[in-house]
Amino acid sequence: MFPTKPPANKFAQPLTFLLCFNCKTENSRPFKEGDYVFLEVEEKCPKCGSNKMLVTGIYVKEKQEKKKEV
Amino acid sequence: MAFLLYPGFNQRIQMSYMLRDLEKKLNKLKMIDEDVKAKTIESLQRYAEEGRDVKSELEKLLDSFIISPESMDPYGIVWKLEHIVNTWEDRFEEDVMKLCSKADNMKVKTLTNLVEVARGIHYIYRVVRHYYLLGKKTSNIYLILQMQMLMPQIMEIAEAYHYASYAFSQGQPIGDGIGVLAVAKLAYGKEKKTYEIAKDTIVQEMDFEGRKLIIVRAVGPGGTVGRPGEGVKKVVEAEGDKVKLIITIDAGLKLEGEDSGKVIEGVGVAIGGTGVDKYKIEEIAKNKGIPLYAIVIYESIVEAITPMRESIAKSVDKILEKVKQTILEKVDKDYTVIVAGIGNSVGIGVT
Ligand SMILES: [Zn+2]
Repeated sequence: MFPTKPPANKFAQPLTFLLCFNCKTENSRPFKEGDYVFLEVEEKCPKCGSNKMLVTGIYVKEKQEKKKEV
Repeated sequence: MAFLLYPGFNQRIQMSYMLRDLEKKLNKLKMIDEDVKAKTIESLQRYAEEGRDVKSELEKLLDSFIISPESMDPYGIVWKLEHIVNTWEDRFEEDVMKLCSKADNMKVKTLTNLVEVARGIHYIYRVVRHYYLLGKKTSNIYLILQMQMLMPQIMEIAEAYHYASYAFSQGQPIGDGIGVLAVAKLAYGKEKKTYEIAKDTIVQEMDFEGRKLIIVRAVGPGGTVGRPGEGVKKVVEAEGDKVKLIITIDAGLKLEGEDSGKVIEGVGVAIGGTGVDKYKIEEIAKNKGIPLYAIVIYESIVEAITPMRESIAKSVDKILEKVKQTILEKVDKDYTVIVAGIGNSVGIGVT
């Protein structure tokens, strides 16, 4: 038996999608622990600089998934 | 070279090849089992008090078992099963809560899910090891052959458990949560009354075009499936004869070659698991003559327990379109419709 360490980051990580309350643009960033769908976060909108955004989705982008084999 | 003609010699060679292949896969399973266990210990440790022996307490949980009720006299078996499963769930959660005294309620639920994943993969490993050793000991080629045939699917599920452990340790939504996600979006931004109706299960009452819309779902963002059967039953009892339709939304197993995230409609109760929830809803719906509609979102077994895929997440709008259309067509104004979002609520907040 030769147990080997599994490669780190073998699994595709989901993205968190944020909607700005002010300008209604959606952007995404890698998932952070503590995020959940419909959470209101105090993060700066990259477009208008407003400080309040809503998590509208957390999921794995399909193309990103295809490159990394699960 | 005459020994090659000796009957059974080829079979022996073939068997040793198959055993070697099995051993390789068993090693991989062991590695996954150990990694999931390590991940679970690491997650539990973060919320446990200093000096607690997390490892040995986790091992105790991994070895625990559940005995299904006697079915010789099937009368009332659903209630017995419900009692046993509820006891099991409560005890499991209590044990995790005691161990992780620093975790809040929501986190305890997600950690309980994580321990269940660890228990699942540990069980798979034990069973495969059992048949491998048994086949080897008895030189039973048919046993080994069957194992070898099943291994690709078993490995796929094992990899899914592996991936699932990452999702649960961080609280990411999984494919199975699509039903909950859909009703969360349905309720978002609406004026409503929210209250708990059964353990880990909430109800949200709101108006929808003159109809009373009652949503039943597991409470998030902790990982739980709640008790939707009990929830729907209590709502119907409280509403008297006002309920004219019950819609259940859940992830359903797709066949190979079918698209993930495809939304289909049918009749009946869309709920997996032990069957207790399904039974309860069918029973009360039959007694009151309430039609049962179901909306199912296609997923593979792997997709159901791993972080949600884009195609599944994107199906929400299509689901809600069908739900709204069905309500308008089938339920008259001033009457009540129950929409139950079935699935695990990990990573999905209450709206
Ligand atoms: Zn903005």
